[in-house]
Amino acid sequence: MNNANQQKAHLVIVGNGMATGRLLDELIKRDANAYNITVIGDEPEGSYNRIMLSPVLAGETELATIINKPAAWYAQNNIRFVAGVRANAINRQAQTVALADGSCIAYDELVIATGSRPALIPATNQHLQNIFSFRTIEDVNSIASCAQAGRKAVVVGGGLLGLEAAYGLAQKGVQVTLVHRSKGLLNRQLDSGAGEFLQQVMASKNIQFALGTEVAAFNSDALGGSGFASETLKSATLTNGETIECDLAVISTGITPNKELGQEAGLACGRAIIVDDYMTSSDNCISALGECCEHKGETFGLVEPIWHQCISLAEKLCFKRNVAFVNPVVATKLKVSGVQLFSAGEHLTGDDCREIKMVDVKNKIYRKIVLRNNRIVGVVLFGDTRSGADYFELMQQAVDVSSVAALLVMGKAFYAEQLQAAQNLNQCANQADFSQADSLNTASVTVSKNANNDIAA
Amino acid sequence: MTVQKSQLANVIASDNRADIASKTVKTTCCYCGVGCGVEATVEDNRVTAVKGDELHPANLGRLCVKGSSLHETQSNPNRLLQPMLHGEATDWETALNYSADKFKAIVEQYGPESVAFYLSGQLLTEDYYVANKLMKGFVGTANIDTNSRLCMASAVVAHKRAFGGDVVPGNYEDLENTDLVLLVGSNTAYAHPIIYQRIVKAKAARPNMKVVVIDPRRTATCDIADYHLAIRPGSDAFLFNGLLGYLADNNALDSEFIANHSEGFDEALSVAKAQVASVEQAAVMCDVAKNDLTAVYDLFAKTTKAVTVFSQGVNQSSSGVDKGNTIINCHLATGKIGKLGAAPFSITGQPNAMGGREVGGLANQLAAHMSFDNQPDIDRVASFWRAPNMAQGEGLKAVDMFQAVHDGKIKAIWIMATNPVVTMPDANFIREALEKCELVLVSDCIANTDTGKLADVVFPATTWSEKNGTVTNSERRISLQKGFLPAPGQAKHDWQIISEFAQKIGFEQAFNYTHPVEIFREHAALSGVDNGVDVGTNTRPVRGFDISGMQHISKQAYENLQPIQWPVNSHKPNGTARLFEDANFFTASGRAKFVPISARFPQMPPKDNQVIMNTGRIRDQWHTMTRTGSAAKLLGHIDEPFIDIHPADAKRFGLAHKDIAVLENRGARYLGRVNVSDSQRVSEVFVPMHWNDNFASSSRADALVNAITDPLCGQPEFKHSPVEINPYNAQWSGFIASELPVTPNADYWVKIPVDKGYKYRIADTVTPSNWSEWLTEQFPLVSDWVELTDSSQAFYRKVGFIEGRLAVVLNIARGNEQPIENRWLEQQLGEQCDLNQRFAVLAGVAGEGVEDEGPIVCSCFQIGAKAIQTAIEGGCCSAEALGEKLKCGSNCGSCIPEINGMIRAFSPQHAAKQA
Repeated sequence: MNNANQQKAHLVIVGNGMATGRLLDELIKRDANAYNITVIGDEPEGSYNRIMLSPVLAGETELATIINKPAAWYAQNNIRFVAGVRANAINRQAQTVALADGSCIAYDELVIATGSRPALIPATNQHLQNIFSFRTIEDVNSIASCAQAGRKAVVVGGGLLGLEAAYGLAQKGVQVTLVHRSKGLLNRQLDSGAGEFLQQVMASKNIQFALGTEVAAFNSDALGGSGFASETLKSATLTNGETIECDLAVISTGITPNKELGQEAGLACGRAIIVDDYMTSSDNCISALGECCEHKGETFGLVEPIWHQCISLAEKLCFKRNVAFVNPVVATKLKVSGVQLFSAGEHLTGDDCREIKMVDVKNKIYRKIVLRNNRIVGVVLFGDTRSGADYFELMQQAVDVSSVAALLVMGKAFYAEQLQAAQNLNQCANQADFSQADSLNTASVTVSKNANNDIAA
Repeated sequence: MTVQKSQLANVIASDNRADIASKTVKTTCCYCGVGCGVEATVEDNRVTAVKGDELHPANLGRLCVKGSSLHETQSNPNRLLQPMLHGEATDWETALNYSADKFKAIVEQYGPESVAFYLSGQLLTEDYYVANKLMKGFVGTANIDTNSRLCMASAVVAHKRAFGGDVVPGNYEDLENTDLVLLVGSNTAYAHPIIYQRIVKAKAARPNMKVVVIDPRRTATCDIADYHLAIRPGSDAFLFNGLLGYLADNNALDSEFIANHSEGFDEALSVAKAQVASVEQAAVMCDVAKNDLTAVYDLFAKTTKAVTVFSQGVNQSSSGVDKGNTIINCHLATGKIGKLGAAPFSITGQPNAMGGREVGGLANQLAAHMSFDNQPDIDRVASFWRAPNMAQGEGLKAVDMFQAVHDGKIKAIWIMATNPVVTMPDANFIREALEKCELVLVSDCIANTDTGKLADVVFPATTWSEKNGTVTNSERRISLQKGFLPAPGQAKHDWQIISEFAQKIGFEQAFNYTHPVEIFREHAALSGVDNGVDVGTNTRPVRGFDISGMQHISKQAYENLQPIQWPVNSHKPNGTARLFEDANFFTASGRAKFVPISARFPQMPPKDNQVIMNTGRIRDQWHTMTRTGSAAKLLGHIDEPFIDIHPADAKRFGLAHKDIAVLENRGARYLGRVNVSDSQRVSEVFVPMHWNDNFASSSRADALVNAITDPLCGQPEFKHSPVEINPYNAQWSGFIASELPVTPNADYWVKIPVDKGYKYRIADTVTPSNWSEWLTEQFPLVSDWVELTDSSQAFYRKVGFIEGRLAVVLNIARGNEQPIENRWLEQQLGEQCDLNQRFAVLAGVAGEGVEDEGPIVCSCFQIGAKAIQTAIEGGCCSAEALGEKLKCGSNCGSCIPEINGMIRAFSPQHAAKQA
């Protein structure tokens, strides 16, 4: 370290997940020398792509390839990386962070990016062996070590991660039963029509389902036994009374923001640490980012809005520029081989909405577009997700799509030309002449003049 | 041009049809009354191509689109191949025995007046002759009429009154050598395209030649008109009475002709002038501008060579005979007859209406131009036939005949080659009559015609390319329709069926024909019996129809008959191009007769809330579509029943262009798509006559026609039916495209054959509660469906596949708005569809890069409106230029009026001129 570094303000980032990785990129892109940076992470690895854990579990991707920032990268970029250590507390007065190893790091600017942890379920005996979360590389390694072909697993949670975990296990030859509280899979992203197709496709990948029920209890050899940690999981009893034999269980029922670090330091919190449009918490020197923050009542579980947060935060930190974070509409994708799924906006059709839907039972294709006031407000695509991005754009731009309503769901190739024409026509509606050409006494031959070419008008 | 110029291209004298595989055969077209020569290419017992016979005098190589498509209607899926008895297939012996026994029993019990034949201008002369002989000579009744009653019965009587015989004086060359063509009630461009093309060509060669169209409608024929008089419907006779007075007042009479070759002029003139005293009055009666009318009168007065072509617009009237005579009166008064380029010219609708007239196929005719009002004629025919039960008086004409069937007076009827349940006025009444009738026999080449469905027995008949015999066209030209393909299935020739039936009811001797030439010879011989020609030095024929010159024709000469115009006798062995060149007529006095006419308007005027419904042909269809309806190509131009209506009426009745509207009369309903067009007069609508229950749910126009007939000839008033008109309140509209035919469960449907199946345009006033179920019920074999739904129910689509191939498409939209169709979608029927194509067929469009051609304008080359419009906008500003660029209009030419209309609408030059 040289002298110049000593004089620079010290930026401390607590947490080393995907948000931090991205924030570092955004900062370096703007001004690599703006701060002395310290990153504190409780996992030993550098920032990795958590989204890719499912393919790793399924054996479709190598662990090494998902680590974006190995330890060496931090060194190369003059970033101090404190790995495998938790931050225990913040002293806002002193502007320091106390670590689990007893050390204390001073900051000028602090970013809390502690992420989230798996949500808890009310089942009893969750302490039994071979019950896992699905959140970290360590989780994946543990699950993988216990997931030999022929074994039986219960996966709790029919959201994106739960489905991916179930798929990953099934790929390894494990007999999987997925338990989900709702009657429909991915019920936060899909309506029942797409959910049913999804279930059929997942069933064809050797996954069984127990829907509309929860795990009441995990059981060891000795049912209702003494609860020693050494006891091994043997089955799960559901609230509907059914008991499912299992050798392992993965619980993936959503996330709980890790807001405690901020909350204990007295930052304003709701479900997470509350931030303004520039990711600033109730303390001007402290920002929060990613799954641990709460913006306008919303918390975050998908990467795309977090990328936007990173930009807003980097602008503020590097340039003191106020680039407001706007929570974008986000599309969902499920990383299960052979399953195409796209969901954005309102996936359930409200009473004030119009729903256009295409269903191809044989090919298990389901495409639904939800309109309000002739604008797309929701998209659910299953089985064939082409044009998803195009719908997304139309949705974001609030384009009036009424002129192509019947073609919309088939994709851009079918509606684009007509939509463009309708937009052009709208622009010159007042000049247009729609006079009918005289059809010379024939019934079906009517050739209307091209409005733009009609110079006789 | 003489009639014998054409060469023998192929001498085919063999009865062994298989001999002639892969050859070109000369024959005659089976559609309209122009009677065009056709060269058919035959390979492996199939007609694979047709073209116009360049040596045939009627068409000189041209063919219209219907004729050009003859080979495409050969493999008709509805072809009748075996006799049917009460809806079940049977053998000939059973079918004939049943029919003959029943028929005979009815005659024995109720007498000969209790049976009837209803024939057709589609029959060949030999078929016609045998049927006529059987009924009038052997069964003993003249209850034998024909659909020609609906076509030109008026002209027959008008000719007889004026000329003493049913004779068309002129020929097609007169149309080319004249200086003035008046087309009266004749949309020649559509109904007789080749005649129209000949006029077009002549006018192009001699631009001074004038063309006048007299028609309430501005039809495609008006494309070449110097004047179009859009007269009040039915006012034709006022117009020609006015003309007669004008000619007299303006020194335009041929006094020499009137004095030496006619009689009755003074009375005819005074009756005409008493009714229509001046041009002003004529203009008021006809509701046309006086200046235009004067100009046309003046043209007629000053032009020595004029031809007045008249057809159904004149004939189909409660005073059609009189109208015909007012036209003839004007020609006689100016001597415009019997000369090159001068004639009144009745053009017939059907291929052999004229042949039917020659054999006496009408209830008020005998045979060979002999008549029931002349006892020696009756005796002459009886003696020639050795007839045991010669009818002694006229029989019932079509309308009265079916009335008698309905009344139970006629208990057996045999209908051949026609579809009266579609074509007769008050057609629902005809259906009722046949439902009640004890014995209904039908001969047809098509199974399940609307009429055939009501028959006890249906006989499978041969059709064009299989049957062998003669037809006569509108210029008296007899040509051979050659049989060169074997009869399919158990089909037989009509003359055979009639003869075998005749033998079974006890007339073995007189009906033992083995070949049509035997019938033809007998017919030719009868025409010469006591016909004056060879009696002493008196060479003046008594009857116009005389083909005695061919009574000894050899079989080979018959099989290779060259087109020839009658009379053909010892004095005119090569036929007669033009009659009355010597101003000798077939009346007792030898003079032509002026008939004094008090013109009459149609019998039933419309009420305030009614419009007048006019009926007629469209360009690419023939009659009830049983044949032309099977060629997808012929439905590309107009594929749906329609209602032409003036913009003011559309507004008055709340009708939007392309909506469906309902016409109603006598409890019958006609549904058609509204075509707003100022080619119609106010308060008048035009509908096509072709559609029937096989092609549409409720579009038989003739069911709305009142059974009002001309008292002289019995021809019904098809052109003037007061009807109510209302919007059809469609709750939904749409289409089904399907590989297989269905009968859609919808109030409104129209069947449109397409290349790979069928398209149904559908609509209803009641929305099904569940579309998916609705469609699944119609197509129980399909299980692989893709569905597109809209919660606001603005549209619904569903597409079905069988083993990955597209089997059916349903596309529905709410209200009257018809969903967009295109040919690309229809062409996907039967095609294997990958995922992309499954999306595309649901979208109904190919996606990027494939543009629809629009409606077909040129049926011959299948050129769509969009391509033509683009070419016009790109600078092609004549029909010729377009023909060179796109080929459109360069075959039959019948789309040229429409192309010219498009040039007027879209050409940049034209637009600039307008501005």
